Amino acid sequence: MLLDLPSTREESWRWGDPAAIAAAAGLPRGEALAGAWFLDLEGARAVFVDGVLDEGRSDLRHVAIAPLEGGEHVLGRRTTGNGWSLRVDANASAELIQIVHISTGGDNQLPAEIVLAGGAQASVVETYVGTGWSNRSTRITLGAGAKLTRAVRLLQASGFVSLRDEAEVGAGASLIVTVLGAGDAGTRIDGAITVSGDDAFAEYGGALLTRNAQKQECALSVRHAALNGQSKQIWRAVAADTSTASLAARVEVARDAQKTDGVQSLRGLLLKRTATVNLKPELEIFADDVKCAHGATVGELDQRALFYMQSRGIPHAKAQALLTRAFVGDAFAQIADETVRDAFVADADAWLEAALSAPLPLAGGAGGGASS
Amino acid sequence: MLKIENLHAEIDGKEILKGLSLTANAGEVHAIMGPNGAGKSTLGYVLGGRPGYEVTSGSVTFDGVDLLELEAHERAAAGVFLGFQYPVEIPGVSNVQFLREALNAQRATRDEKALSGGEFLKLARAQADLLGMDYDMLKRPVNVGFSGGEKKRNEMVQMGIVNPKFAILDETDSGLDIDALRVVGDGINRIMRAPDKAVLLITHYQRLLDYVEPDFVHVLADGRIVRSGGKELAQQLESEGYVGIAA
Ligand SMILES: Nc1ncnc2c1ncn2[C@@H]1O[C@H](COP(=O)(O)OP(=O)(O)O)[C@@H](O)[C@H]1O
Ligand SMILES: [Mg+2]
Repeated sequence: MLLDLPSTREESWRWGDPAAIAAAAGLPRGEALAGAWFLDLEGARAVFVDGVLDEGRSDLRHVAIAPLEGGEHVLGRRTTGNGWSLRVDANASAELIQIVHISTGGDNQLPAEIVLAGGAQASVVETYVGTGWSNRSTRITLGAGAKLTRAVRLLQASGFVSLRDEAEVGAGASLIVTVLGAGDAGTRIDGAITVSGDDAFAEYGGALLTRNAQKQECALSVRHAALNGQSKQIWRAVAADTSTASLAARVEVARDAQKTDGVQSLRGLLLKRTATVNLKPELEIFADDVKCAHGATVGELDQRALFYMQSRGIPHAKAQALLTRAFVGDAFAQIADETVRDAFVADADAWLEAALSAPLPLAGGAGGGASS
Repeated sequence: MLKIENLHAEIDGKEILKGLSLTANAGEVHAIMGPNGAGKSTLGYVLGGRPGYEVTSGSVTFDGVDLLELEAHERAAAGVFLGFQYPVEIPGVSNVQFLREALNAQRATRDEKALSGGEFLKLARAQADLLGMDYDMLKRPVNVGFSGGEKKRNEMVQMGIVNPKFAILDETDSGLDIDALRVVGDGINRIMRAPDKAVLLITHYQRLLDYVEPDFVHVLADGRIVRSGGKELAQQLESEGYVGIAA
């Protein structure tokens, strides 16, 4: 298969891994994974197997399947075709929507749109499992005062997942997106958020957990184009073994976007010195009355805290896991729904147990004791 | 219970403990006093198994077991408790979670059954009450935003919860006002004064020893015990200073 993929010579793909995308697309198709991927929550459900709706396992309710545009983005445009669409009328509240993407191999493309009219509300949880290359584009339009929360769990065991998100956040609207990369697939997240109405709020953050030789990256930009906007980009990257996690996050404040309040916090944690975390925070501010707090740091676990915990009886691997969980937890704080937040924490815990305890001889002791 | 023989230890290639010997039997409280930089905290860290503190010769036997062969968490499970001179802050991990993990990890290492959440909370609440620590502080992240005195109190609450056989308390009295000193002193007596337990009490001041009466007092200077005696030695140090005595 010939793929027209971006080159790492392009600045925005500097840390990208197009070769991993090509390799994932070349994986043979197989059986769809079985598993209980839905969270125990009421609402609409959709299962896509290799990008195709599995009607038997879906209960779409207010979600429609429709021809959609994937936009101009180099990966996003490949998704143009049939996808899922959520449109919510003014002041209406949609039930929770859960979408499970099962990829069995090869490549699959799926576009999506979420359009909330003024005052409408919706909440979406997406889970990615399986293997192969899953490529997605999601276009989000929030009318005045609309509220969307979206939580994305990337749990593919191999292959590659690429997400292209484009969002317009209208006056007084609120967009909260949280992404967790806790599978073993390569990841590329491309986000372009425009805060286009006054007094709007946009939060786009999450955690990328990488191990072995895995690479995950996020390239995000939030553009403030209106008055009094608030945005938050809170990202945590944890890298083990020889893996690489990369975050390039940008805040752009247009000339007339006065009183913008932007928070950007990018933090990386190296579980091994052979791992890499790349952070690229960027602020581009053309307005003069703006508050933008930002921080970007990469470090290792606090050795003093580790010894303190060990001296109280906690084995080394468990102490590492507890400290790492606390580190990652900052990125999930904005998830309002307890069930969803618990699922994120559980996914991260499972990752930690595998990444930290497994290679250690003390696995039995380290895994002991329920942690809730 | 604890027998330290001719212990030499270094940090970054620099020898700090230079042939330290000390024996503490069950039922005894030993005070260790000495000038700044003598190696008191180093002794505590070496006994606790802190990475980077390398023992180059000598031995430490605890209840007949080679303590130096155990990993730090195994020492805790064996009944050794190290009260830190500077307790560490752990953002994002609550005291309750930390202590429950700690206690249950110790119990797991000893092949004992884990305590349930309810059982643990009852125990933690009781110990916090006894040490006059507000129950709400148990829910806060470990030592984050605690005053110096609150951190030391928290060390004692932790000691009460894990109920060790042997405690090394490194300047637990520093940073305490006179009321807190009495509460902490009472706590040490209540938790550790027992025929089958022993304490190494590292301190600069006589005042803690008014509450926790030592059976023996040792002067540690330049990495060695240079003098040992009864509790009257502490009074002598208080009035005369280390200079003449340690020489
Ligand atoms: N991490 C370290 N690296 C190098 N030297 C150290 C380190 N920690 C302590 N020391 C040195 O070891 C000696 C003993 O320190 P310490 O045990 O803290 O003394 P005390 O507790 O008796 O005041 C001091 O000279 C101190 O400077
Ligand atoms: Mg000291």
